[in-house]
Order: sequence, then structure tokens, then C-alpha cells
Amino acid sequence: MSIETPPAAPGPIELSADRLSADRPPPENPAAPHAIDVQGLGVRYNLRLTRKNTLRTTFINAFRRKEGDRTFWALKDVTFKLVHGESLAVIGPNGAGKSTLLQALAGIITPSAGTIDVRGHMSSLLTLGAGFDQELSGRDNILLAGAFMGIEHAEMTRRLNSIIDFADIGEFIDAPIKTYSSGMRARLGFSIATSVDPDILLLDEVLATGDQVFRAKSKARVLELARGAKAIVLVTHDMGWVTEFCNRAMLLEKGQVVAEGSPEEIVGIHQEHSERTKAEQAAKLAAKAPGTG
Amino acid sequence: MQMTQEVPASYRNTALRPRGIGLITEAAREIWSRRRLVGYLVRADIKKKGADTLLGNLWWLVDPLLQMLVYLILVSVIFARPQPDYGLFIFAAILPWKWFTSSVNDAITSVTGQERLIKQIAFPKIILPTASVGTGIINFSFGLIVLGALLVLVFSHRISVFLVWIPVIAAVQLVFTIAVAYVLSGVNVFFRDVGNISRHLLRLWFYLSPALYGAATVEKLAEQYPSVGALAKLNPFYILFTAYRDVIYGPEVAAAGSTGPVPPDVAALAALGGVSLLLMLVAVWFFKRLEPAFAKVL
Repeated sequence: MSIETPPAAPGPIELSADRLSADRPPPENPAAPHAIDVQGLGVRYNLRLTRKNTLRTTFINAFRRKEGDRTFWALKDVTFKLVHGESLAVIGPNGAGKSTLLQALAGIITPSAGTIDVRGHMSSLLTLGAGFDQELSGRDNILLAGAFMGIEHAEMTRRLNSIIDFADIGEFIDAPIKTYSSGMRARLGFSIATSVDPDILLLDEVLATGDQVFRAKSKARVLELARGAKAIVLVTHDMGWVTEFCNRAMLLEKGQVVAEGSPEEIVGIHQEHSERTKAEQAAKLAAKAPGTG
Repeated sequence: MQMTQEVPASYRNTALRPRGIGLITEAAREIWSRRRLVGYLVRADIKKKGADTLLGNLWWLVDPLLQMLVYLILVSVIFARPQPDYGLFIFAAILPWKWFTSSVNDAITSVTGQERLIKQIAFPKIILPTASVGTGIINFSFGLIVLGALLVLVFSHRISVFLVWIPVIAAVQLVFTIAVAYVLSGVNVFFRDVGNISRHLLRLWFYLSPALYGAATVEKLAEQYPSVGALAKLNPFYILFTAYRDVIYGPEVAAAGSTGPVPPDVAALAALGGVSLLLMLVAVWFFKRLEPAFAKVL
């Protein structure tokens, strides 16, 4: 399992491979040890477009042209390098840009600034049950999901049985998804998403799936995947996972990297920060209370 | 230094983003490498459209027939239209029009309808409107079966060798349809109004095109108002409908001594084909320019 083996998948990742050609200097050494190299990554959202727009609101907005307060940097100047064997935990308060970072790494969002260089076959577990087609059978949905993820048909049919086994939905596999319970849907989604064998694994707190039994099973599966992967980026609020699992951690706040280091150290800083925020909020509430009361 | 070809497929660097023509070739590559996904989506669409109805996919055959009947009754009874074989006359236009509108309408919601997927998996979004166009092709093929049956069973005296032109005319229409589908599906991500407006605009377009009436009516109009007539003849569906009708039905006003189909106006078709090709390239480029914003906006 060297990263030089071209993966079978004609995936979104493959499609960009040709961009490495011609006018650009080729990478000095394709087998360079880094798995992910992020330089000055910034992701900007245009709030004017993010709202579900109608023409009317756009016309109105066009008259009040104020660019400044209408864009928002979800991530700013994020730089890090992940080498093989590392597993990086990204922690931070809600809205810090953790999920945006994963989306950018997965290639779902294009960076507004900076670059991301990925070496290896990447899989994200962001995809649980995304885009199931309600009318199609479970089996058809597995194949469709595979095609969306860019996994070759032959590969996907090979995986089909193990996916169905793991999801444990029995006869229902040939019934339309709309007849599934939400638990079955979640199990199928998890089973598809984890059927991959990636070099780089992106994880976004997907571990709470299904009932008790399945949850234990799914945790084991994630651990197994994580062991097999060469590099991991994990986004979580569960500090236990961070210290147990990762050998590096990064604290994101308001889209920027605040601290980076060993998991214990970063978890400590994070807890300190959240204590402080909590205290500040309590103080704010306390300050407000007499005024209103 | 030829090692660039050897770079494993899973290498990706966001700094290397194509622009201009590069976007168009990238799109072509994307569609080609994901042709199986397009196939899946088309098949899923067909399966879905047949589901939950008694007749299932038979509706694909019945639908154009019913539509023809409605117009036939409307026009021949209410307006007492004295056109021989009027059923075939309008069917030759209704069939391609249904193809166009179903493709475009599907395409408009194709991207917005996959909101969750787009936010969670990186895949070339151009696949989605492409699949809509693909479903449309299947739709049209079913319609051609109906056309064949109609010709054999009812209008056998109109069968001619000129029917072989249909694939050529359809190819021109396909290129034009792709252009419209890509542009509207992309714009609809930002302005959901597109779906609302397009329904009415498409209907207006249909009535402004010689579908229920013939090219002769447009001629008459052109004699009266040359500028309006010139404009009407620039309408892609003026050219397309006339071409389909020429090869299936024949000219609206038959030349003395002869009835039945004639070869189409090749020059007009070629011109439309060329323009459509250009439009399609621009549309692909346009879609690819919008694409990076989809995941953020949806």
C-alpha cells in the first residue's frame, strides 16, 4: 500500500491530477512524505450570495453596495503540514471553521486564498447518508453513492456485499430508501462511507450513528479505518478522542489557528478558553440581569 | 521531466486551477470520466418517473400522444383549422419541443436538487445537468417510437426517405439544449426565480415558434412587418420546427403537384448548429466558472 499505487477510483481527486501537468513544475518527489500541505488557506463566504436569493433581493442589494461587511472569512491564514503517520485533531468552539476546513480539504469548497496540496487517496466521512435517492433501492443507492464518490464500478460491486452485510438491513436492501427507518438509513450511510480504504481519512464526528449495538460496531470500524490510514484529520468535540487517538492537535478559533501542538496541551488550552468564554458570558448575563429585573 | 504523467491520480493541488479554455477541456474530461455516473443518474431518473403510476414508463409513449390530441382538438375544433393531416403537422413540432422543455426543466433543478450531496462530496457538478439532458434524449427516443407508429398506422402516405434527416436535426437541437441547460442550471443556484420564470418563458417561446401554425404564417408576418419577421426567423425553434416538419410532414403549403416531405434547409441548420456549438462552449465555461461557489451558496 504505497501512495504511488494509482488508486482505482476515477474520482474527483483524479480529475484534478492533470492540473499538475505542463506549465507547472512537477513535484520534486511524488513520494514526498507529506500527506497534506496547507499554506495560508483562507475561505471566504459572500454573505450576499449565501442567503437563498431571489432576483428582488439582489436588485435591492445591488443598490446598497457594501462589499466590506458582506463577506466573511470562515477560515483565514491556516497553514499546516501533515506527514504520514500523523493524526491531527482539529478542535475549537462552534463556528470556528472546523467543518469548513474539512470541506476545503475534501475538495468540496475551493479556497479563496492559499493552497492545499494533497498527496494520497482521500476519503471523507462527511458523506453519511447524503443524497440518498428516496425512490431507489438500497442497492441502487450504494452504486449511485459509489459513482458520486468516484469509485470504479467494478470496485463498488466488489464492495457491495460487505456494505450490505455491515449495514445489516436484510431484505430491505432491494426496497426503496423511502421505506427505511431513519436508523436503517444512517446505518447504510455509515456503511457506504466507511467501505473505503483511504490513505488520508477526514472524520467529522460521525460516530453517533444508530442504536447501541451499531454504535459500538461503527466505533470499531472507524478505529480500524484510522489504523489503516496514513494520515487522519479529525474534527470532534469529544476530548477523549483527541487525546486517545491523535498525536497532534490544532485549536481553531474564529477561522484562525490559535494553537498547535500535542493533544494534551491543546485540549488544555481549549478548555481554558472555553472556561473563559463561559465566564465572560455569565458575566454578561449577570450584568444584564439587574437592568432588566 | 516527463514524470508529470506518472503523478498518481490522487494528487491534488488547489493552486493549479485551470481557466478559460482549460475549464472547457476539464469539463469534457469530467463528463467522460464520470460517464457511468451520468448513466446511473439517467437510469435512476427513468426508474423514478415510471414509479408510482399504473402505466409506468408507458407514459413516455402516451404523453406526447395525449398532448397532440389536446392541441388537435383545440385547434381543429375551436379554430376550425383546415390543414390536412394536422395531427402529424403539430406532432412533428410537439415531439422536439417536449424534449427541449423536459430537458431544460429537469436541468434547472438538477444542481439545486442535490444540495446535500454537493455539500458533502466533491464531484464535478456538470454531471448533474448533463444527466438531465441524457434523460431528455431517452424521452425523445420514446417519442420517436410513437412517431414511427403514427406514420405507419395513420399517415403512411407521408413516409419518405427524408426521415433520415431526423438524427441530424436532433443533433443540432441537442447541442442547443445543452447550452441552455448548463446556463440555467448554474444560474438557478443563485437565483431560484429561474425555475418560476422559465416555465412561463418556455410557454411563450412555444407559442411564438411555428409549432401549432406553420412557417407560412411567419412568412406572412414577415411580409407585413419585415423586422418582426426577420427576428422570428432567428428563433432557433423556427429553424428546428421547420426542419422537422419538412422531413416528417412536408412544407405547410405544398408546392403544386407535390405533397409530402422535402429535405430540410441545410444552410439554416448548419448555421444554427455552428452558433449552438459556440453557445455550448460558452455555457460550459460559464457553468465551470460558477461551480466553485455552489457548495458555499447552496
